Amino acid sequence: MTQTDILSSEQEDLRLLRESVRTLFERAGGSDRARQLRDAGGGFDPEMVRELAEAGVFGVAVPEDQGGLGMGLAAGGVIAEEVGRVIAPEPVVSTIGLSLGLLRRLCPDHPKMAQLIGGEISLAVAWQERGPDGAPADATCRYADGKLTGGKAWVVGAIGSHGFLVVAEQDDGPVLVLAEADAQGLVIDKRTQADGSSLGELSFSGTPAAELASSGAVLTALAEAVADATALAAAELVGLSERAFEITLDYIKTREQFDKPIGSFQVIQHRAVDLNVMCEVAQAGVREALAQMDSETDPKVRAPIASRAKARAVTAAKKITRDAIQLHGAVGYTDEFDIGLYLNRALVLSAWLGDDAYHRRIWFEAREAEGAAQ
Amino acid sequence: MTDWNAMTDAEFRKEVRQFFEAEYPEELRHLPHRPKFAEIEHWHRKLHAKGWVAPAWPAEFGGMGLNAAKLLIFYEEQQRWGVNRGRDMGVQMVGPLIIKFGTQEQKDYWLPRILSCEDIWCQGYSEPGAGSDLANLRTRAEIDGDDFVINGQKIWTTMAHDATHIFMLVRTDPDAPKKQQGISFLLAPMDQPGVEVRTITTLSGETEFCEVFFDNARTSRENLVGELNKGWTMAKALLSFERIFIGSPSLAQNALGQLESFARGRGAFDDPVFRDRFAQAALDVEDHAALYARFADQLKRGETLGADVSMLKIWVTECFQRITELMIEAAGPDGGSIGPLQVGNVSVDVLASFYKARPTTIYGGSNEIQRNILSKAVLGLPG
Repeated sequence: MTQTDILSSEQEDLRLLRESVRTLFERAGGSDRARQLRDAGGGFDPEMVRELAEAGVFGVAVPEDQGGLGMGLAAGGVIAEEVGRVIAPEPVVSTIGLSLGLLRRLCPDHPKMAQLIGGEISLAVAWQERGPDGAPADATCRYADGKLTGGKAWVVGAIGSHGFLVVAEQDDGPVLVLAEADAQGLVIDKRTQADGSSLGELSFSGTPAAELASSGAVLTALAEAVADATALAAAELVGLSERAFEITLDYIKTREQFDKPIGSFQVIQHRAVDLNVMCEVAQAGVREALAQMDSETDPKVRAPIASRAKARAVTAAKKITRDAIQLHGAVGYTDEFDIGLYLNRALVLSAWLGDDAYHRRIWFEAREAEGAAQ
Repeated sequence: MTDWNAMTDAEFRKEVRQFFEAEYPEELRHLPHRPKFAEIEHWHRKLHAKGWVAPAWPAEFGGMGLNAAKLLIFYEEQQRWGVNRGRDMGVQMVGPLIIKFGTQEQKDYWLPRILSCEDIWCQGYSEPGAGSDLANLRTRAEIDGDDFVINGQKIWTTMAHDATHIFMLVRTDPDAPKKQQGISFLLAPMDQPGVEVRTITTLSGETEFCEVFFDNARTSRENLVGELNKGWTMAKALLSFERIFIGSPSLAQNALGQLESFARGRGAFDDPVFRDRFAQAALDVEDHAALYARFADQLKRGETLGADVSMLKIWVTECFQRITELMIEAAGPDGGSIGPLQVGNVSVDVLASFYKARPTTIYGGSNEIQRNILSKAVLGLPG
């Protein structure tokens, strides 16, 4: 390989972080673990969550004075890439980006912060709602007299979580509340996804919940947390794409037809190069975006940067995982080969928080708005 | 003499920018064609007086002596302001080769003439049967007394009709066991009976490419650079910096800027399909720039670039072509018209951009050749 070692250009602290997370996942069994957990019913491993916490994973973007590492989203992206490489089902990005993203902005002194950082619990964030036509709709879930009524949809990590951070409406505006997983009147409908994980569809009927924060700050913090999670999901897709490409490259070097490795055929070689280039562009673009988000405070600027990252990562992951199946040939279509796990995970991560077409639109609209403002 | 490398990047950028903005003639900005020397002579004289003709050459030979970081900044500013590279084959290709492999006499004689453009150079590499497979070249040079006698044909020789000299790869040992061996690097004057130049009219109607025919043309044996039969390795040694330069984002960035003003003027952004395709192109350019920055950082740290740098060229040239397709699309019924189209206060030559984008995937090693290189040198694929 004459390719430059990518790790060498990374800052020393990020490099060490990457190595420790990679080692942790590899010791635990790499992508085999993802298959085992899927076959066991599609959950995640709470013991793994605790080990990740010990490595400082969940508090990576939480400021030091709030009990985190204060390393920012760039470091979160390093972790997310490693999660993507082994398609780990643990709620890493949703915890760093969404649950801790909300709590650290709205109630940094809440005891759940320390528990989340310590990996003792996980909390799922319920913020989207489904309209009558099945598409995303405005929030109507009500919070009054300490109780929730209504529903929430597309809740990532709902199964296995200890509670829900719910964004709801009360008389004087938006509110963030905490509902325990076993609260009265909470029904969780499970929707299985391509990778075996589940999305929760929650319905509340007079479900008791504790208020954490209220007023317009809730929506501001939500938008920020969603932007963070979007960019981190992009990084997870980058890691996933890189590994899917490596698996495919190994395969075309060893699979023989017409008495030669299929990777000796020029048509296969050129496709492999295109996937490699796509991967490198995605990695560079997403890493740059995360670094920019760390140096920007204006939410209006940060959100389109996150969109740029997700648009690129989904475009790349789509192309790479689909072509990876084609390059594997018939065995790529079987469940036995790992490459399918990567395709299935990519489907889920692409749909979560908006796909490439959606984020190009958001990015373009923000660019137009900025142009009009100038 | 100024030590440019001692300046901060920002100071140096400012210095370069100020000079270009103050001194470069407005009518020569973003020239859509390659100029003949007469057209840019005035600018070349200014550059020469300033000592900025050869930014990459060591100061002892009359260059600026820039390190890689400063050189990138110089080129970025040059492209940003649309400063024409001029007739720079001498500076970019022959000069560095003479500096590296030439004799003291060759350095003393040729280098000042390159800087002053007293000699204007063209590159004689490709032949009808030696394009992507350059080592297949057949133009012969045989020793005859104090001269080499040259017979054969070169093609795609850019601006040969406006050059005084040609530097060429020629076959000096037809019996060498490998075709890469037996090739030498020769300098030859164009103004002699045995050299005939014919221009080639391109798709866009320009005549910047030529065919050059050699029929017992002569050049002195003193004009052999480096050792006999070692030309191939020497020519290859030159290419490493060029490979990041050829993948720089500027061509696509400039085209995107033109596309945006043109499309806005034409109301193309009212169409959501066009909006999405524009956003794709704009993000393709932006994310390419991020990858370019990664390679540029490596250079700035003094590291050598690997073969993987070729991916920049593949991505940016194909992206450039997609952008020019969008320009044609935005032009609607004007999409087949030659010449500038006026939209509000901007004037965009849609087809000039389109034609300019076509050869970018062919020259400098076609994108298919680049993919061959990447698949073997970077991905380690067999065969």
